[in-house]
Amino acid sequence: MIVFPGLIFSLITLLTAIWAERKIAAKIQMRFGPYYASKRIGGYFQLIADAIKFGLAEIIVPSNSIREFFILGPILITAFAFLPMAFIPVSQIPSSGSITSPYYRFFFDKFAGISLYQPIITPYSLLFIIAVASVVPILTVMTAWASNNRFSLISAIREGILTVAYDTLIIIALISMGIEYHTLDIASIVKTGVPGIIANPIAAFVFFVALLMGTARFPFDVAEADTELVTGAFTEYSGLLFVLSMAGPYLLTFVYSLVFATVFLGGWLPLMGIPGAILTVIKALIILFFSVFMRSVYGRYRIDQILRGGWKYFFPAALLALIIGMIGGIFL
Amino acid sequence: MTEEVEKILKGGLEVEIVPVEGELNVGPQHPGSGHMRIFVRLNGDIIEDVDLDVGYVHRSVEKLSENRNYIHLIPLIERPAILDSIHMNMAYIMAVEKILNVDVPPRALYLRSFAAEVNRIASHLYGMGIFGVFMGHSTAFMWGFGDREVWVEILQALTGARVTNSYILPGGVRRDITPVIMEMTEKAIKYTRRKLNDWKGIFVNNPNIKARTQNVGVMTKENAIRWGAVGPNLRASGVAFDVRKAEPYAAYDKLDFEIPVYKEGDAYARTLVRIEEIEQSMKMLEQIMREIPQGNILSDRFFKQIPPIRLKKWWEGQHRIVMPGYYASFRPPKGEAFARVEAGRGELAFYVISDGTAKPYRLRMITPSYRLIKVFRELAKGSRYADLVTIYGSLDYFPPEADR
Repeated sequence: MIVFPGLIFSLITLLTAIWAERKIAAKIQMRFGPYYASKRIGGYFQLIADAIKFGLAEIIVPSNSIREFFILGPILITAFAFLPMAFIPVSQIPSSGSITSPYYRFFFDKFAGISLYQPIITPYSLLFIIAVASVVPILTVMTAWASNNRFSLISAIREGILTVAYDTLIIIALISMGIEYHTLDIASIVKTGVPGIIANPIAAFVFFVALLMGTARFPFDVAEADTELVTGAFTEYSGLLFVLSMAGPYLLTFVYSLVFATVFLGGWLPLMGIPGAILTVIKALIILFFSVFMRSVYGRYRIDQILRGGWKYFFPAALLALIIGMIGGIFL
Repeated sequence: MTEEVEKILKGGLEVEIVPVEGELNVGPQHPGSGHMRIFVRLNGDIIEDVDLDVGYVHRSVEKLSENRNYIHLIPLIERPAILDSIHMNMAYIMAVEKILNVDVPPRALYLRSFAAEVNRIASHLYGMGIFGVFMGHSTAFMWGFGDREVWVEILQALTGARVTNSYILPGGVRRDITPVIMEMTEKAIKYTRRKLNDWKGIFVNNPNIKARTQNVGVMTKENAIRWGAVGPNLRASGVAFDVRKAEPYAAYDKLDFEIPVYKEGDAYARTLVRIEEIEQSMKMLEQIMREIPQGNILSDRFFKQIPPIRLKKWWEGQHRIVMPGYYASFRPPKGEAFARVEAGRGELAFYVISDGTAKPYRLRMITPSYRLIKVFRELAKGSRYADLVTIYGSLDYFPPEADR
């Protein structure tokens, strides 16, 4: 349970995601991408080498920053981006026949009637994920304020304005799923056997767009726009804190991808046990790779264009998803 | 304690308000600034004023040129715009030739046009790549630099250097074109035509790029003339001016080409002008390869001065010019000359005064980017902060060229 999907697993996923992002982009952009650090596996070790390099680099804390918050910022961001994983069921534990079957009783979800690979069993897992993940932008703003840099400050303002737009979309999209399936428990949603993308395609689309917005993926990369704001809220960071500040948004993308895979793509079904968990993760990775692939196709929109798009087009779409959820709820 | 409560009840809670107005130092060490400092005065997200602190890459070309022989000046003159060095070189040489009163053989004129158009394509692709990455479009960045490569290779085959070619000499050019280079060029044209379609798919017609560039940094026709815009930026504002048409030099009077003009004057129109200029340049290259006349590539006046032994070795063997001794420190007659060409980024002018010695008395160099400083500043006023880089990239402003 700790390994899958735990810290070590998340680290590997993170490195794979960044590696995939660089490799996919390189393929489109007529380059090789990471190459020399072990040619046989496509330069995969380049990421590990980079991580070690950053990890051993000196952490510079600007003298006029708020020292405590400056250091706490990236750590908390990574932690809160990682925490929602505790509420995501990646697979179902079969009552017998699997090496995890002895834990059947221990992880039994009495609301869904099945046992799950989910560290914390709760009937409100959807709600908890939204609640914990929505702390991250607040921490980003705190970090930007603490680092006392003008570019960070502008980034924080952009992040704050953007948060209102995309959090609304995420919440409405997920709530409409909750209404449709009469539950806030992800396991119960998966258990019905109807993937959310079929039951409510508009909610799936809105959620995916909000996922791109919420995790600063292209074309909604305004909060970290490098040619405008250097690195946004994390301009002043170096060393291990920089690694954490980069890892946080990627982890959050992965968390949202997992939510998308379980709620909208049917999760581990039709498998169960460890193969089911692998299936869930593969689905999530496809979403993750697709979201990092957008970098090769799009530039970044302007903040006002994103907000206009968010409130004028995606917000009504989210409300439509809610209505579809209400109607669909009658049949499910 | 009660006093404080009363104070609060009377005056209300004092809340520290973060001012919406403020200054931002973009550069000189910033991913989006280039070699300069852009001092931005912001009001919320709107730019109130922009101060361009240029001069970080000043090379003092004009002053140094008073202490160099004419021929030794060529490498220095090229340096400000290494991506566009053929044009820099050509304009200077044209001014010197006017003082020397030399006739250039037609084949050399065609070769000058050839090199200039290859250089223009490379320069435009570079500019579009930079423009792309300014808007976060990394694919355009990589493609711009990747597609530029084939043209730079042609320049290398022709002149011996990828950039800073020092190709053009008073009275002609340094090397002759070969069938291999012609074949390379044909391949490059075919490749770039195919690639431009991809460019249109991923960059020019991309809804994201359209949203970012349309109606951004709009320069009306009147403003473009008043602010002194040049080159593709001027033509994107509806002014059909091109030195190649207005005052033909090299072989341009014999070449068929159109100058693309757009009325919109926004960043998108400027991009479209560049794309179409690349197409026009390729058309010209094809015509040059078809129609290039036979003959010498250096004026007879200088050609005669090359020693026969060297002539046999270099000219008859490889069709290369070895500089005659006269070049090292020739003394042109007293006089002054003005020459201008259409460089990749716009009109480039040279004014040379000769006092009869081996060194210019004065050399004035007016580069297109230098004239864009004013345009950049005026366009940035009133736009959003995120559009600063869009305007910057769409103008194709190149700081070393402006600083000279």
